[in-house]
Amino acid sequence: MSSSPTETTVEIVMPQMGVSVAEGTIVEWSKRPGDWVERDETVCLVTTDKVDVEIPSPAAGRLAKILVEPGDTVDVGTPLAELDAGARPGEAHPEEHQEEPPPEQQAAPSPASPGDETDRSGFYSPIVRRMADEHDIDLEQIDGTGIGGRIRKRDLVALIESGAEQQPAEPPQEERPLHIESPYQPDEPADAQADGILSDERREPMTPMRRRIAEHMLESRRTSAHCTTIVEVDLHRVVAERRELKDQMKRRGVPLTYLAFVASAVVAELGRHPILNASIDGDELVHHDDVNLGIAVALDSGLIVPVIRRAQRLSLEGLASEIGRLAQRARAGELEPDDVAGGTFTITNPGQFGAILATPIINQPQVAILDLEAVVKRPVVIDDESEAIAVRPMTNLCMSWDHRALDGAEAARFLSDVRARLEGWQR
Amino acid sequence: MSEMTYLQAISDGLREEMRRDEAVFCLGEDIGAFGGAFKVTDGFIEEFGADRVLDTPLAENMIVGASIGAAIEGMKPVAEMQFADFIACGFDQLVNVAGKLHYRQGVSVPMVVRLPSGGGFSGGPFHSQNPEAWFMQSPGLKVVAPATAEDAKGLLVSAIRDPNPVCYLEHKGLYRHVKGEVPEGDHAVPLGDARVAREGGELSVIAYGSSVPLALQAADELDEDIEVIDLRTLNPLDEDAILASVEKTGKVLIAHEATRSCGVGAEVASLVSERAFESLDAPIRRLTAPDVPIPFSPPLEQAVLPQLDDMKEACRELIAY
Repeated sequence: MSSSPTETTVEIVMPQMGVSVAEGTIVEWSKRPGDWVERDETVCLVTTDKVDVEIPSPAAGRLAKILVEPGDTVDVGTPLAELDAGARPGEAHPEEHQEEPPPEQQAAPSPASPGDETDRSGFYSPIVRRMADEHDIDLEQIDGTGIGGRIRKRDLVALIESGAEQQPAEPPQEERPLHIESPYQPDEPADAQADGILSDERREPMTPMRRRIAEHMLESRRTSAHCTTIVEVDLHRVVAERRELKDQMKRRGVPLTYLAFVASAVVAELGRHPILNASIDGDELVHHDDVNLGIAVALDSGLIVPVIRRAQRLSLEGLASEIGRLAQRARAGELEPDDVAGGTFTITNPGQFGAILATPIINQPQVAILDLEAVVKRPVVIDDESEAIAVRPMTNLCMSWDHRALDGAEAARFLSDVRARLEGWQR
Repeated sequence: MSEMTYLQAISDGLREEMRRDEAVFCLGEDIGAFGGAFKVTDGFIEEFGADRVLDTPLAENMIVGASIGAAIEGMKPVAEMQFADFIACGFDQLVNVAGKLHYRQGVSVPMVVRLPSGGGFSGGPFHSQNPEAWFMQSPGLKVVAPATAEDAKGLLVSAIRDPNPVCYLEHKGLYRHVKGEVPEGDHAVPLGDARVAREGGELSVIAYGSSVPLALQAADELDEDIEVIDLRTLNPLDEDAILASVEKTGKVLIAHEATRSCGVGAEVASLVSERAFESLDAPIRRLTAPDVPIPFSPPLEQAVLPQLDDMKEACRELIAY
């Protein structure tokens, strides 16, 4: 493509998708050069920190040139494509043509690898050449059954055994067939076996979200000195409280979950243990005045952590309401980039799937992540004078924390204060 | 015939030869009163006495050196290394003395060094090696590596009767896992003869030792027309058997548990490409352990040693090629 920008050329740029977003990655182009695009029609999909955004065209016109390929990450404001706004729909673009990628040229066949689908029909092994020579076989007339269509020894053996090679290869006549089918038909099991090599595994590219999660998780493991501290918590008061409150809250459209209680206790204690509501920036500890509480939400496609801003201002009902709202938006794919940015502490809740212990990975650059596990009824010794055994709804709070920022005593103190708050729940 | 484990077949062969020939005796660490670390010589001291079942100090250099001296004087010593790995301590005696005496001085050295080799039991880097290639590179030594109970006996008997020093590699993983019908009494398998363990026309798997049962299992599970050649003797290599198989199939996989570089696989691959190039229908491939020490950790060890799935995958790829 060599069209020079004209007066009618309009640039499509990487838009600002939220105050905290500085760059985006092209996932795919839904338009190709030469395609007609309406104003506000989606031209491409961009992903930022796990949230996908459709980029609309700023004007109607014909897409002239794509400047950023899928997979590339560019800063906000970078031109992504050029649009010829002077074109008219239906009018042939001077450069409109279907560009076929050039067929892959394979100079010399390399040793085969499974799944390698390069055309190898022109490569003949020593034995194939020798047999062709001895039996006067025109190899170009044979369809190979090896990898990449390579002619195998067994193809020639089958041909020779069928006697077909005795028919002399005719010089090109008027009705020369494009190719002669080998009379050898691989029998079913052998064929299935050959295919099995390729179908034993199935590969697909990771989704952009999967890739982001992979990057973030590895990065976090490399960055933080992960430790995990666990306390078990008797939730019988919380259970009673929830039973009392949940119907009236439901009438107000608020789903009251155990997570909300834990979030409420955590937010309160983060105020008293500021070292947990911090992040690390180089050699500095950054203490945050606000508790921006991340709540991990499991989606079919991965995990996303929307953030409840200034969570310290919210009551139990306020937190429950926010958790419900963000989870719903996450599942509907409606989160904005800013919804997932700026967290200072994260709670994850795989316990809803029945797990009872985990060692979560810290959401960088935060210093801790708390994991709420399944609430399970268990017999426990009541720690008072009676020392009775009672059935209580128990759960584990597993917190991974960064040993660079704090030590085990601080983590344990924080967790035990959260536990005390939950076990002695008061409105 | 009677059914024996690979281990029992080794004992049986050794016992038969000691009964048959007064010159045969064995020596090694803890082989007498204790019966050997793996119990190959269990009961031997009772039958043959402490003069023919010698407990030695922990000194491999001495064990091999004493064997050489005895062999020169007309005895037929069978020395046991507790683990093949320890032969490194006796390397000079074996490679420079035992292997070269006939060439230098026309003196015959009829001795056997038994080398319990191989991994798969978390023995770690000092107790799991397959050092056969060391000896293949050392002229004057014969090297055998049986894969079946019958051959374990027959090859040991032939090794004892051979006028040359023979390194007899017995794979520890086969000791109690491999069983088979073994001829009673006098049974010798000639050195230098490979065996067609399974006939086939599409692919030759050339293996020895622990890789033979692996190849047979892979061939059965894949249900493909795979030929398995059990080399049995590594020096001298049965070149005719290898070439005959390759000329039939056109595809070659060489499999061994030993490390890759300069190993049996490299030697066989070179032989095939020199002498059977025109029969090849695919690249010659090797399935071996990578060039690393054997790890202690069971999952790491599994990753290092060739497994059944690796064997099947290599076979499938070559057949499809």
